[in-house]
Amino acid sequence: MNTVKLTRNAAHALAQVLFIGFFVFPIIWIFMMSLKNFRDIISYPPKFLFSPTLQNYRETIQGAEGTLRAGELPEYVRFLLNSLIISGGAVCLAVLLGIPAAYALARGGLPWRKHIAFTFLSFRFAPELMVILPMYLIYTQIGLYDTYVGMILSHQLICLPLVIWIMMSFFQDVPIEIEEAARIDGASILLTLRAVILPISGPGIASAMIIAFIFSWNNLIFGLVLAGPNTRPVTMGILQAMTFDQIKWGLMAAAAMVSAVPGMIAATYLQRHITRGLTMGAVR
Amino acid sequence: MSARTTYLLLFLPALAMLALALYPFVQGVLTAFSDRKLYYDTSSFIGFQNFIALFADDEFHDSILRTLAFTAGVVFVQIPLGLGIALLLLRQSWIQPILRSTLVLPLLIPPVVAGLMWKTMMQPQSGIVNWLLSNVGIPPQTWLSHVDTALLSVILIDTWVFTPFAALILLAGLQSIPPELDEAARVDGAGALLVFRAIQLPWIVPFIVLVALFRVTDSLKSFELFYATTRGGPLNATRTMHIMAYEEAFRWSSVGKAMAVVFVLWLMSYFISMFLMTKWQRRSGVHHEYG
Repeated sequence: MNTVKLTRNAAHALAQVLFIGFFVFPIIWIFMMSLKNFRDIISYPPKFLFSPTLQNYRETIQGAEGTLRAGELPEYVRFLLNSLIISGGAVCLAVLLGIPAAYALARGGLPWRKHIAFTFLSFRFAPELMVILPMYLIYTQIGLYDTYVGMILSHQLICLPLVIWIMMSFFQDVPIEIEEAARIDGASILLTLRAVILPISGPGIASAMIIAFIFSWNNLIFGLVLAGPNTRPVTMGILQAMTFDQIKWGLMAAAAMVSAVPGMIAATYLQRHITRGLTMGAVR
Repeated sequence: MSARTTYLLLFLPALAMLALALYPFVQGVLTAFSDRKLYYDTSSFIGFQNFIALFADDEFHDSILRTLAFTAGVVFVQIPLGLGIALLLLRQSWIQPILRSTLVLPLLIPPVVAGLMWKTMMQPQSGIVNWLLSNVGIPPQTWLSHVDTALLSVILIDTWVFTPFAALILLAGLQSIPPELDEAARVDGAGALLVFRAIQLPWIVPFIVLVALFRVTDSLKSFELFYATTRGGPLNATRTMHIMAYEEAFRWSSVGKAMAVVFVLWLMSYFISMFLMTKWQRRSGVHHEYG
């Protein structure tokens, strides 16, 4: 191996190390912080070696000792449940509404098909407050403010365009001959969709659901505007560790780690479809 | 598929979008022309007064400039950096899959978590970032806590979160280059630099436009990173339009004025995204089909 090649490989390795350092170190550092006691957290210079404790996680999940009334769920667990209900419900509704729509847009020969599709898409690019601030005014009037139904409906703005556009791209990948064969055998549109298209696009649907769930789960601004004490999602729960006079670093770190778990799981599962998911089907 | 079936399949989703997006949207535009306050149900039409007041207000001009500066910073840092990372990932090696899964992480954890993480690390006195810098002889920085550095710091955090987006899309673009094209050039003796300039770069132009479309529109309306780190401070140094609108509504309860701010932001975002979208559709027609 000559020297030029050797230096080039060395430069390449260095770039990779820098790259991993920049993108992974912050997550590792906060994970370490979540395992530290208060003294280790505030020590300067920062401590890399310390005796780990699960105290922060315990306090996050169980609540601070003595603050809990009988039969009441700890605050953070309620936030987690709220997020689970809102994001889970939103994804289910988005799939029910989105799959027929995506199929119609992918296969139906509407003349203004593209305009409908782009109208759905344009809400992906609009500032959220343009829709959810008036929605707040409407919700407070009709009693949907701070309810699960209201939250699930509002999260359609996140989930529905994602599901429609991602599924459209997956449906277009299904060879039209397969469908025509089923139709010639006398299957109705709905039967074709259910028995032929959906099984083929199964992995695609799973990816679309996961992406929609993650974006709904990770969202803060909808909860900030439309949720009250009953439905606050987990992303708002993390902010609660920052009270007016102090930041409870350890608790914040632990809460942040727990709230990032769905995203981390998805990161390992989604590898193949991640670009399609992130660009709403534009890059396959 | 018959037209009737198509309409039938589209009916419910279209109804949902009408009720959940279009109706509030129209209400919002009307609100922008009213003196609506947060805690009163009644309001009256006041024409363009909100807009006239806004455009006479230096604070609003500053927030527009900050929003544009943030967006420009984001795009001009993240696209070149993302392209560099994509080229790095293009080389097949055992470490490539690890790098790729690493890259996805910042995109899939909640932005508010990313914001808080960096806020913690950027503490001027006790944060790890200044400690790391001090080890290589760089003096401590003020990061999010000073007027001069706050906006740059948020751009840095945004870069951590979203450069992977640019990298993944551009990597997909580079991987879609037909191998024959690449090989032919190399057989003819073209070096890495020439291959990049004559083949790779022209090929991925539509992908670059696509990244720009997503990054520009997302940065114009960026909210959660700002909310988690600075909430517009210190001394309004990071008060972008979206943050300003939120504060007008929920801190000063001037919903009418808040909607006027968002409406201007929406117009900006709409025209820029339409421009980039048509540009991208025209470009991408060359080697792949869409929609």
